[in-house]
Amino acid sequence: MSAPRQGVLAVFEHADSVVDAVKALKAGGRRKFTVMTPVPNHEIADAIDDSQSPVRWFTFVGAVVGGSLGLLLCAWTSLDWPLVTNGKEIVSIPPFMVIMFECTVLIGGLTNLFAMLFFAGLPDLVQGEAFDARFTEDRFGIWVPCGRQDSESVAATLRANGAEEVRVEAA
Amino acid sequence: MAKLTYAKVNQDILRMIRPPTSAWGILFLADLMVLGFGLLCFAWQVRTGLGVAGYTRPVMWATYITDFVFWVGIGHAGTLISAVLFLFRARFRNSIYRTAEGMTVFAVMTAGLFPLIHLGRVWFFYWLIPYPNQRQLWTNFRSPLEWDVFAVSTYLTISSVFFIVGLIPDVAVAREHAVGIRKKLYTLLSFNWRGTDRQWKHYNNAYTYFAALATPLVFSVHSVVSWDFAMSINPGWHSTIFAPYFVAGAIFSGIAMVITLMVPMRKIFHLEDYLGDWHFDSMGKILLFTSLIVTYAYAVEMFMAWYGGNPYEKSVFWDRAFGPMGWAYWIMVLCNCLIPLLCIKKSVRTSIPAMFVISIFVNIGMWFERFVIIVQSLSHSFPVFTWKLYAPTWVELGITAGSFAWFFMFFLLFVKFLPAMAIAEIKEILQTPLKKRAA
Repeated sequence: MSAPRQGVLAVFEHADSVVDAVKALKAGGRRKFTVMTPVPNHEIADAIDDSQSPVRWFTFVGAVVGGSLGLLLCAWTSLDWPLVTNGKEIVSIPPFMVIMFECTVLIGGLTNLFAMLFFAGLPDLVQGEAFDARFTEDRFGIWVPCGRQDSESVAATLRANGAEEVRVEAA
Repeated sequence: MAKLTYAKVNQDILRMIRPPTSAWGILFLADLMVLGFGLLCFAWQVRTGLGVAGYTRPVMWATYITDFVFWVGIGHAGTLISAVLFLFRARFRNSIYRTAEGMTVFAVMTAGLFPLIHLGRVWFFYWLIPYPNQRQLWTNFRSPLEWDVFAVSTYLTISSVFFIVGLIPDVAVAREHAVGIRKKLYTLLSFNWRGTDRQWKHYNNAYTYFAALATPLVFSVHSVVSWDFAMSINPGWHSTIFAPYFVAGAIFSGIAMVITLMVPMRKIFHLEDYLGDWHFDSMGKILLFTSLIVTYAYAVEMFMAWYGGNPYEKSVFWDRAFGPMGWAYWIMVLCNCLIPLLCIKKSVRTSIPAMFVISIFVNIGMWFERFVIIVQSLSHSFPVFTWKLYAPTWVELGITAGSFAWFFMFFLLFVKFLPAMAIAEIKEILQTPLKKRAA
């Protein structure tokens, strides 16, 4: 399933050209564009947006909830059918630490996965941006969604900053 | 790796997942035959009962538990390489981590079978899972065996998720070069990944946290496995050094298995540019380091048995080395302590045939280490009249061989259908294409 799209797709050979193009687009007042790269690149990421991903907070909350659930499971089941052994406490924390730890990692890991999928928009069923198979190989891409009237100026900006190929996509 | 480009990396790694050759088919068929024999042995055991295994009181844990600990241990190097070395930004990791991670998942899948095989009445395996039954009885959370259920299932889940998440950008590369059913499958597995800035940002953040969560798992899972033994009062098992001793042993055996798998892979798929002397040198150093730790653990065990003054401990350890099954102990010492010492020399660490041979010895030695710990300790327990020797039966050996075939079946499918090297991460350590550099 792909959405109707209108805009400009530029293909770049060099990562620093992408950084320049991103800066130029931002200087021109454009905030809505997508950069596609075969590898993560810190310079490009910093040029686009230096905010932190919120995934880590979900992971943290998931880990805390997991650890608490682990303790609750052990404590509740032990109290549900008390078996006193050697006069030790029914809710004995040291052996329960192992279950708590495993549940911390398990729920924290799964929350991390689902938060990543949610924020990264995966699986990407809408495909709002134009795409070129070379972006998985050795080329970098910038997709700028814009109307017909802006496409020429956007294309010119991208070309001026080193795009080796620029395509205008009409809806 | 200096002469590699982004495009060449795609080309070389995707070459590995071309349609299978007849040599691959023959190898896969041979593997299935061994697996079939293992399944027959298991079916025979299910039909006739656990008596067909060589269990004799007091040796009621033997080959199956040895296999379990061996396979869980193999898995550990994969997580060490993918998670711990990722956090330390060890660059040699990028070429080997995908194979090591795949190895982890398949090894833990193999390990997980053995507690079930060992149960005898395998159809009651679900009794290990905490659920309320008709008598409102719950599992015992104070038992190390219950800890193990949680540890191994968490380990399998997290390492599988870590493996699949790592594959996403690389499967997207494969998707762009595939046709037909493969393309559909890769599209599904890649979640339609396109490498957008938004995707990379959240992906990288999540990947770091996966590594951070998986790192303590490396240390915890084998510690929990070691407590299956150490929490008992059996001489030879009841020791506080078991957790670090088992963790070091697990990493040692896992690294050896990575080398065993990577050497033929390098040759068959012509990956010389990706797996050079540098990689084997680094793995050789880890192998040597962990070998020294396990050697120290063997020595400390012996020392404590003597210095502790407990006659039962002393007797068990004397029997380990000089008893009727002492040959197993000396195989262990030869393979795990003496042969890996060759890695002190850089020329050995950078010699790929030498590393391959050493890794095979370590695999054998580490299987025997678990055999020595489990079987020899039990066979020489407290009361003298219960002492008994143990020998595995053909059913146990068949199931053990079948477990290797089960592991290699998944591995063979993996190298043929998924990118067995991390395309995106290899590109990360290459020179980024820059216009100033091109100029």
